[in-house]
Amino acid sequence: MLMDFAGDDAVFGHFGATGGYALAARRAMHEFNTGPQTWKHIAVAQRAWANLNPHAMMHGKPMSFGDYLSSKYVVEPLRLPDNCLVNDGGRAVIITTLERARDLRHRPAVILGLGQHNPSVQVTQSGTLTGSTGARKACETALSMAGVTRDDVDACQIYDCFTYTVELTLQDYGFFGPGEGESWFSEGTIGPGGRMPVNTSGGQLSEAYYMGLTPLSEATMQIMGRCKDRQLGPATQTKEPSIILVSDNGGILQAHSCCVLGRI
Amino acid sequence: MAYNKPLPRVNGDNQEFWEGCRNHELKFQQCASCGHIRFPASLVCPKCLCSDFQSIVSTGTGKVYTYAVYHVAFHQGFLEDLPYVVAVVELQEGPRLLTNIVGCSPEEVSCEMPVTVAWENVTPDISLPMFKPLI
Repeated sequence: MLMDFAGDDAVFGHFGATGGYALAARRAMHEFNTGPQTWKHIAVAQRAWANLNPHAMMHGKPMSFGDYLSSKYVVEPLRLPDNCLVNDGGRAVIITTLERARDLRHRPAVILGLGQHNPSVQVTQSGTLTGSTGARKACETALSMAGVTRDDVDACQIYDCFTYTVELTLQDYGFFGPGEGESWFSEGTIGPGGRMPVNTSGGQLSEAYYMGLTPLSEATMQIMGRCKDRQLGPATQTKEPSIILVSDNGGILQAHSCCVLGRI
Repeated sequence: MAYNKPLPRVNGDNQEFWEGCRNHELKFQQCASCGHIRFPASLVCPKCLCSDFQSIVSTGTGKVYTYAVYHVAFHQGFLEDLPYVVAVVELQEGPRLLTNIVGCSPEEVSCEMPVTVAWENVTPDISLPMFKPLI
């Protein structure tokens, strides 16, 4: 689906994930207030986080709103910095029992809740390109299992294949209503020093693309307190994280999983 | 010059659709039980699971549901077309098709814009249903 050059989509010059998300993002621009003026806040805030992370591919490459708005389109309305990075590398998260984890050197991050919802309709026939995607139900399930509410969430690590995915996921999670994202993001909300930090490693847009492990490993390390210059808490003028919401997303908004990580 | 873009893979499921296209007809399956017109073709109706159907021919008119403008060619065959428009068109009869919008500049395309089919004969066996603004 994403990489198939011989499928019937390729007949019309439609390839890869950028094209699919561009179709979704364009429809969203028709249905509610969104577009580059919303997405620039996501791209720029995540780049600011990446500049606190020496492992990030985009470390040392600051980006302004002007840089974002003057960058080239890949598949319009998505520009190059709306797209995740392409890289090699690896990530691992070790999962064990809480009993064993208590004896380890590092304070563990605890899986408090999980949720999944997969609408799984192909893009052309989908009625959910602009929400609600599987994110809404997946998040409700995960929060309910964890016994917490959205108000308890200190930070989010959101699967960010594209900037629009971050907006739509947070919108479906209920942080703001459709079209309210521009205003919600514009207060520096998700960047260093913000009241709801998002994708604190730089994310897939500005750190590196490790599929769902970019957000999951970052959430784990933030809870464990291993993030140095970008550590949530006094180092970045943000709340110390007790609860972090993590998302993963598959296909063109066709599959969604949500995880609540917390500290003991 | 030989046609240098990908061609559809005709198989048992989509054969009737592409044969219709060769005759410049957009043919869809309509459920014999609930009347739902479906695409892509399938063994049973996704609404009511009935397997009986009849074929209908679309008027070929509809509107742009959404679109994207390619500024990068991911396949050499599309290099000269840049920038080009990929769209999802919703036909009057209901089904949505992935297609191209032709006959206008990318800046003129918008969601909900009325369009009509514009056939592109690319090989003796294959005609592609593209769409152009309905004037």
